[in-house]
Parts: sequence; C-alpha cells; structure tokens
Amino acid sequence: MTKLLRLAGLAVVLVVSLLFAVFVGDQGPWYFAWVIGTVMIILISGAGAIMLDAQSSLSADGDI
Amino acid sequence: MEFINPDVVDLSRFQFALTALYHFMFVPLTLGLTFMLAAMETVYVVTGRQIYKDMTQFWGKLFGINFAIGVATGITMEFEFGTNWSMYSHFFGDMFGTPLAIEGLMAFFMESTFVGLMFFGWDRLSKQAHLAVTYLVALGSNLSALWILIANAGMNMPEGAHFDPETMRMQFESFVDLVFNPDAQAKFVHTSVAGYVSAAMFVMGISAFYLLRGQHRQFAARSFRMAALFGIISTVAVITLGDVLGRLDYEKQPTKIAAIEGLWHTSNPPFEPWIVAALPDDARQENHYEIGVPLVLTPLITHTFDQPITGMHELEDEAGPRIRSGIDAVAALRRYGVTHSSTDLAQFTAHEQDMGYGLLATRHAPGQDVTAIPADQIDDVVKATQPDILPNVFVTFWSFRLMVFLSLWFFALFAISAYLSLKRRLERSRLLLKLCMWSIPLPILATEFGWITAEAGRQPWTVFGWLPTFLSASSHGVSYMVFSLVGFVLLYSVFIAAELYLMFKFARLGPDHDSMEPHTPAAPRVSAFDMRPMAS
Ligand code: HEM
Repeated sequence: MTKLLRLAGLAVVLVVSLLFAVFVGDQGPWYFAWVIGTVMIILISGAGAIMLDAQSSLSADGDI
Repeated sequence: MEFINPDVVDLSRFQFALTALYHFMFVPLTLGLTFMLAAMETVYVVTGRQIYKDMTQFWGKLFGINFAIGVATGITMEFEFGTNWSMYSHFFGDMFGTPLAIEGLMAFFMESTFVGLMFFGWDRLSKQAHLAVTYLVALGSNLSALWILIANAGMNMPEGAHFDPETMRMQFESFVDLVFNPDAQAKFVHTSVAGYVSAAMFVMGISAFYLLRGQHRQFAARSFRMAALFGIISTVAVITLGDVLGRLDYEKQPTKIAAIEGLWHTSNPPFEPWIVAALPDDARQENHYEIGVPLVLTPLITHTFDQPITGMHELEDEAGPRIRSGIDAVAALRRYGVTHSSTDLAQFTAHEQDMGYGLLATRHAPGQDVTAIPADQIDDVVKATQPDILPNVFVTFWSFRLMVFLSLWFFALFAISAYLSLKRRLERSRLLLKLCMWSIPLPILATEFGWITAEAGRQPWTVFGWLPTFLSASSHGVSYMVFSLVGFVLLYSVFIAAELYLMFKFARLGPDHDSMEPHTPAAPRVSAFDMRPMAS
C-alpha cells in the first residue's frame, strides 16, 4: 500500500513538473531556465564533492 | 499649488539609495548561501558522510548571522515608499502594492518559518525532511526576492497597467503580464544568480583561508571545490543574463543603454567601438579620453551587425515633440479633472502616451504649472526639458563597467580555482588562495554597482516614461529628511559592524566538529558511483 501511495505521489510530482515545464517554459523562459539551472548547479557542485571523496580514497598522497 | 523642493527630493533619493545599498550588502549571501547549503546537505543525505553535515551546519551558522542581521534592513525600505515617496505610492501603488504584499508573505511566512526549522530541526526531523526544509528556505528567500524584482521591473518597464484619468494613477490590468514581464524574468535570474556568485566567493574565500593556514583541510577542500564549481556556472549565468538585460534596455529604455555605453551620437554599425574606458562629461555632453574596441558595440547590444543604437543627442531631439505633446496631455487632464467633458478626455487620450514628458516639463514651467506656459515660451520650455530625459551618464557608465570588469575577474578566478581543485593542486597555489580570500567582498560590490546601473540609469523617472522622480517624493521638510537620514546611517553602520565582527569571529574559529580533522581512513569510503545512502 505504501509503495502504491509513493508511486501515486511521484506520479503527481511528475504531472505537476510537466505542467510547470509546459506553462512556464512557454510564458517565462528565464524563470524556467532558473529552475533548471539552479538544479544543475547544485548537482554539479555536489558531484564535484563526491568526486573529491573518490579521489582521496584512490590516492594516498593526501594532496588537496 | 505646492512647490517641489529639490533638496527634499535629493535627500529622499539619497536616503533610499543608501538604505537600498546597505540592505543589498546582506541580500546576495542570503540568496546564494541557502542554495549552497541545500547542495551540501544533498550530498550529506546521498552519501551519509558526516563531513557534509558539518559543512551544512558551519556555513549555515554564517548564513544565520547574515540572515538575523540583514533581514530587518529591508523592512525600512517598504515603509520609505509610504513616508518619503507618497506621490509615487499614490501613482503606482496599485501595481507596486501587489508584488510587495506577496513578498511580505513569502519572506515572513515561508522563509522565516522554515529558517527556524532549519536551525533547530536537526535532531527533530528525519534527514530527508530536514533537507526538504533547507530547500524550502532557499526557495523562500529567492521567491521573496522574485516579487521585489517584479515590482522593480514594473518601474523600469511598466507592463500590465494603464493610466486612469479618473483616479489619476496607474491601474493594475493583468497579473500575468506583471509576473511574466520579460524585464522581471531577466532581473530575477540575474540578481538571484549574482547572489549565487557572492555566496560561492564567500565559501571559497574562507575555505582558502583555512587551506593557507593548513587548518580543517578536508573540510576546506570539499567546501572549496563545491564553491568553485557553483561559482563558475553561476558566473556564466550572470553574464548571460546581463546580456539579456542589456538587450531589453536597448529595446525599452534607450536612454539607459545610451548612458551605459556613453553613446552621445547614434552608432555607426558595424564599426562602432565598445568604449572600454572614458570620462563622460555630463555638462558638456561628450566623452574625454575614450579607449574603445572597434566592431564590438553593435553585435554586443543588438545581436546584429547592422542595427544602429540611438545616441543621447538624437534621443534628446526625439523627445522634443513628445514633451510638447505631453504638455498638451497634462493640460487636457487638468481641464478634464474640472469639466469631466468627453472633449477634454478625447484630447487627453490623444496625447496620453506622452503625459510623462509633459510632467517632466513642470520644473521649467512658470510656477511649476505647464498650463501656465505662455504660447511664445513653449519652445524655450521644451528646449530646457530636453536634456532632462538623460540620466547621469558618468555614474551609469562607470557603475556598469565596474560590474562587468568584476564579472570577468570572477570568471577567471572561479575557472582556475575549479581546475586546480579538480587536479588537487590547490595547496601548492598559495597566490590563488590569497586572491580567493581577498575577493570575498567583490561580488557584493558588483551587485551594488548593478543596482546603481539599474536605478541611476532609469532616471529621470521612477516609472519609466510615466512619472518623473522629482514628482514622486513626499513634501517633508529638509530637517526631517536630514534627521532620518543620519538615524539610518548610524543604525545601519552598527548592523554592518556587528555583521563583520561576528562573521570574522566565527569564520576564524572554523567548524567546531572533529569529524573531519584528520580525514581518517576509518571514515566510510564512497566511490563516485556509489550513491546509496550510508549511515553517518
Ligand atoms: C558581463 C557581465 C554583466 C553584464 C553585461 C551585466 C548587465 C547588467 C545590466 C544591463 C543591468 C541593468 C539592468 C536594468 O536595466 O535595470 C544590470 C543590473 C544588475 N547587475 Fe549586472 N551585469 C553583469 C555582471 C554582473 C555581476 C557579476 C553581478 C554581481 C555579482 C551583477 C549584479 C547586478 C545586479 C544586482 C543588478 C541590479 C538588478 C537588476 O537590474 O537586475 N551583474 N546588470
């Protein structure tokens, strides 16, 4: 049951995101770009940190 | 009729500029740090590593200092609209009030509520719920900025409103036009992302300080890398949106773009140089000591090679007929206020689009009344009003250039920092680390220059093309203005001093957890591709 509810919740998020993308992408391209861009900036900077974890665990020199 | 006291207008302008610039020393960090905290906490939730929780909490503490001291400085400005700019508030309140009210709701209910949960909810909420709260704080702070920028864009490019001769004010027409005004969109993204740049430089600079001292190395290395990547993408975005704003100014605020570019005469495409440096002389209406790069201006502003950009002399010439027509509009409106006759209304409607230019002429009319200008003196009044359509060119030109030059510096610094961090050669580049540290205040300075460009460049209008600034102020006495100005300067200086003291103190102390120092092999290891949550 909880799985079903979670799926339904995700489906709602998906539909809302699609509606948002269609409406705002059309009416407010820069607002839309801000949403997408901010998510991208967060993901890339986060990936950079995780990559540093990987680099530190692969090499023993301790350089930063 | 009450006469306008130019000293009161100037003091009102000075007071608003000062409080706005003070306020904006705090805003960029709030806009940007919240999303940086969200990024750090996301990594914490994904990897489960304690160091990212420590990072979120430490940078969150510095954010908290900025938020606690800075948030109050914006409130005074909302009151200033009523106290010092009552004519403006009457004229444009219908348009301006709506976004301002929504901003209040966003700031107080969304941002402030979730800030409390973010600080005190670490032990009370699940990891995921706390992360959601951090995102809501970031969204709340940026969305409250959105509404202020929508209001500001309405002043620069009034869309979704029309002038109503019955109420003598701009009447709100369309919420959608107000919110989706192209200027509002570009301003919001430019300003919000300028906040990201400021926050990234702040985190990168303080991390550089730790690396230079060999303290908290693992903590600083991760903070530095995240900030450098955050900063480089944000700088590219801020430059892109700066270009969009310039193009919008070219289309809708020709006097602003001509002043920004120090362009006294219409450009000669495609050869017109972009003036890198010059000394614009407002009194003589020319530039001294120009240094320019040929062929750059036309594609930069118009995105074509053949469209001219109208110069300030030509804009003054074009304004002549509009001032004349505006004088007719104001006269017809005055008559209509008494007679309510359809003939007067029709005459007003015929000249309505030029009304602002008629109002601009009041300063040069006998008794500040355009209806009292004798027919044989109209030409003189029009001539005297023509130069008034231009902003202060020296201020607009240089504030814009300083913002742009600084953005090029940020681009270089973030790019090299990101590269050296990815190559893990940071600690060997001590000069770079020092430059990062000393660059901490520069993005905040760039945002201040940005606001000076936007606001000084919009002059002589509060509502572009409709309401001159000198007609927007309240009729206070000079002593009242001086007294409140001194009060604000003292109070806000105390705020700034407190912020700097606390920031230096807590940044020097550094993160207070031991978990990241040293980086023990016992700490859970993650590979770049293993994204499963781990226990902290
Ligand atoms: C090449 C780089 C840049 C360009 C071309 C640019 C362009 C502009 C223009 C044309 C305006 C005036 C907009 C108006 O008409 O109202 C403006 C305003 C502003 N700029 Fe920039 N800018 C650049 C970089 C930056 C940087 C690096 C920052 C801060 C980190 C910044 C912060 C601001 C702010 C806060 C404003 C006032 C708000 C607004 O009108 O959007 N800008 N910018």
